[in-house]
Amino acid sequence: MESFAELPVEEKFKIVSGFLLESPPGEVNEVYNDLKVLMGDEEEFERGIKPALQQHNNEQYIVATLPEKNNKVIVSKYGQIGEIEDDLYLDPRSQQTFKFEHVRHTVTDVQPYPVDSAIEPLRAAIDTAIIEYVTDHYPNGVSSVYSTDDNSTLSITIVDNKYNPHNLWNGRWRSTWVISPESNELKGTIKVNVHYFEDGNVQLNASKEIEITASPNSEEPADKAKAYAKSISNAEDEFQGSLNESYIDLSENTFKGLRRALPLTRHKLDWDKILNYKIGQELANKAT
Amino acid sequence: MIANQYYFSLLNSLQDSSSLNLYQNFFRDILSLSSHRIEMTDPLECALDLTRRLPPQNTEENLSQLMNLVPSIQTDLFNLVDQPLKEGMCPSKGKKYLLSVYNRDGDSYRSPWSNEYNPPLNDCILPSLKIRKLEVAANDAFDTYREMYYEGGVSSAYFWDETDGFSGAVLFKKVGDGVRKMKGAWDSIHVFKANERGRMAHYKLTSTVMLYTITGKPELGHMNLSGSMTRQFEADYSFDEPLAHITNIGRMVEDIELKMRNLLQEVYFGKTRDIVNDLRSINSLVETRRQEEIQRELVGKLMERDIKK
Repeated sequence: MESFAELPVEEKFKIVSGFLLESPPGEVNEVYNDLKVLMGDEEEFERGIKPALQQHNNEQYIVATLPEKNNKVIVSKYGQIGEIEDDLYLDPRSQQTFKFEHVRHTVTDVQPYPVDSAIEPLRAAIDTAIIEYVTDHYPNGVSSVYSTDDNSTLSITIVDNKYNPHNLWNGRWRSTWVISPESNELKGTIKVNVHYFEDGNVQLNASKEIEITASPNSEEPADKAKAYAKSISNAEDEFQGSLNESYIDLSENTFKGLRRALPLTRHKLDWDKILNYKIGQELANKAT
Repeated sequence: MIANQYYFSLLNSLQDSSSLNLYQNFFRDILSLSSHRIEMTDPLECALDLTRRLPPQNTEENLSQLMNLVPSIQTDLFNLVDQPLKEGMCPSKGKKYLLSVYNRDGDSYRSPWSNEYNPPLNDCILPSLKIRKLEVAANDAFDTYREMYYEGGVSSAYFWDETDGFSGAVLFKKVGDGVRKMKGAWDSIHVFKANERGRMAHYKLTSTVMLYTITGKPELGHMNLSGSMTRQFEADYSFDEPLAHITNIGRMVEDIELKMRNLLQEVYFGKTRDIVNDLRSINSLVETRRQEEIQRELVGKLMERDIKK
């Protein structure tokens, strides 16, 4: 085996950052602690890993809870305000900003952040329609809806986590929908990750990119919002239906094609015969 | 060579009766430890914990990066973390065989069909004549087994001598035909130790199956459902002649593969699918709750009526 020289510290951080970003749902703390031990120097690790941890929380739609109104809000790039290192996020629903601590997920420094843009009525209407949709289809769903500064697009983020570490499994569903309200076009990305780790390590990674156009009855914010939520609901149903079908396909075709449950004879092998058959064959070969 | 010898001694120490239970419960322990937030401090434990969490879709890449990251434990990692099996071609017999840590010496791999290392080595370790004879019989038997169960694929069995018996690895690999854009691969790694005690033999078997399934189509997007599961098994069987070992090991491998196939079917296509449908419900949750409410009310009324009677 080739031997490895000690890597320069930047190279090490590249590797551990990559690992952290691959953490299964609900297990980032465990991965973080493992990596801390492997890197040795705790202080250096905590400083060096921070950008990756922030990226992880933004990408994985980690949920922050605002203390006062117990408002749940998604941490994502859409809500990030100011400089990245400020760790400041917007809760568009309660019109507040907050500081998010990326290791312990604590919220501090909650400040009012009044929004007074032309698109706010539409954003608020979509938020309401999406809450209704999420309540109807996601048992533990959390959603946040953002507008961009130039009012050109609105972004919907949805996350549903189910963590069951005692039974050794965890799962996460993430949906992102970017809407152009002018054209009523929606661009969606759905990502589903499941980790099952009893007696092993089994993971599902499923994802789909979707482009659809909604047809609202009027230009009223409530009508537009309803049409968007309906289109999203249909598209996500279709994806989930197809995922369920693919499970059956993979099980019935791919899995069965790899290894039979029993041989064609429908009996387990007769091991004495198998050995004797071979010996008999050899004797026959010698005889000829 | 150092890596192989190291591995065998490690394997022996792991399969020593006192440490076997430790090994069996090792992963469960560290996983439950870490879920209770008791921090682990041993680099090897942490690295192994990581291999149980990082996506199995990138096993090889993750392992090589871990070895780069912590050079002091690279040998342990290389030998302890199962990797997908690779196929080689035996130059003298023209037959495919599997490349693994169990038949490796430096950059060469021993073919079970010819007993030769490829590329050739001058100074190499080979099984004793007695064990090689068993190995040849095992390869023939498991080749038949492979054809019956896998209807294709590649099999290899590698045996090595121990002071009180012998050890071995029985390997199978089957790659799916990829029809209808559905890809799959199955790798079985069965590592056993056989201790001879008079006319009885004690067998310890550790079996890992790595299963990869991947598919994609317009309405689905992309789906990758992959990973590995490990199980252990011990048994005592009698043997009246050396070849009876092959019969015993064959039956054990056959039993555990059937069990693991059922387990994989249940976890991959049952459990993870249920979790997906726990994350999001196609049916209206509001409607479901309403129906449940109506049902509860009905049951309540029926019970009330029964009590009144």
